[in-house]
Amino acid sequence: MQNEFIPDDMCNVWQNQGPGPAPPPLEEIHGKAGKLHSQIHRRNIRESVVSALLVPYFAYCAWTARLPMVQVGNGLLVAGLLYMVYQLYRKASSAAAPADLGWKSCVAFYRAELERQRDALLSVWKWYLGPLVPGLATILAAGSIAGFHRSTLIGTLAILPAGLIALLFWGVGRLNRKAAGQLQKQIDALDALGR
Amino acid sequence: MGANEQDRWYLEAAAAYGAALDRLARAYEADQEKRRDLLQEVHLALWRSFQGFDGRCSLRTWVYRVAHNAATSYVIRQRRSRASALVSLEELETLPDPAQNERAAGRRHSLARLLELIQQLKPLDRQVILSYLEGLDAAATAEITGISPGNVATKIHRIKNLLSQRFHQGGNHAE
Repeated sequence: MQNEFIPDDMCNVWQNQGPGPAPPPLEEIHGKAGKLHSQIHRRNIRESVVSALLVPYFAYCAWTARLPMVQVGNGLLVAGLLYMVYQLYRKASSAAAPADLGWKSCVAFYRAELERQRDALLSVWKWYLGPLVPGLATILAAGSIAGFHRSTLIGTLAILPAGLIALLFWGVGRLNRKAAGQLQKQIDALDALGR
Repeated sequence: MGANEQDRWYLEAAAAYGAALDRLARAYEADQEKRRDLLQEVHLALWRSFQGFDGRCSLRTWVYRVAHNAATSYVIRQRRSRASALVSLEELETLPDPAQNERAAGRRHSLARLLELIQQLKPLDRQVILSYLEGLDAAATAEITGISPGNVATKIHRIKNLLSQRFHQGGNHAE
């Protein structure tokens, strides 16, 4: 004979697991909040340092390149990098405020997180890959034209890296669109739950 | 809100819901070390959130929302490095019970199996089952999660069925 199981028993089992550890003291919370602030500050500095190193490098290349087209290409890369840095700061400053965790219901919060990921995937071209394309394309085109001046074979071979980079960019864009589509399905399912 | 007021709300919330937050962390993270980190993350999120608390919703709703949302962020981050996928309640009903051939053996074993089951669930289903287990009614669960009361009721019905199937005592599981 089977005993009748009452799901509410499981609530009692769940709620009587014991008191658990004591909450961390306020001093510890204050310390961790300060540490978190410094971590975010350090991360922002790290991202700026990478750009701060790349921008002068390409600016130097633009200044010293012999071919005018390579100079233009490096200049465009500098502009693209500066645009990327601007977008990074813009995105960092639009991050959720701490109180949002309490104001937003779980569905709204989860939806916002999924939307943020979806938009980041879809906009990779706009702010991350796209700004670098004009500069890279100009430099590669300059290399190819210079190659054709020497021989057709060298000129043709110089086009190959451009093709590979284009293929790589296309692949990244396609994978991102696919991942964004999956996230959109999850967002649609969440919308149905709120109705 | 002043720093003192923020501290006061946090201390009140930690005293009233500290044990519930610990249970919530258990439901979101199986590994003991990581669970300690998650619990600290939840407490930190709670303290920071009180900067913007003005009492427009109850303290209980606020605490559970912050805790679930902070834990959901944690799950999303962890999922990137985990191989196993999370499933919905509906999918879990169709999966075989891993402990089907074992006879339920006491409270501790049931709790371990319950945790294992919860940790497989997608964030929102996890939030509903946890609210149910914490004894919150459908209206409170709807307010915390943002799921419509009708959908909460349907999910709770499914949860009860699932728990009955998986945990009925001394029954046919071992046969």
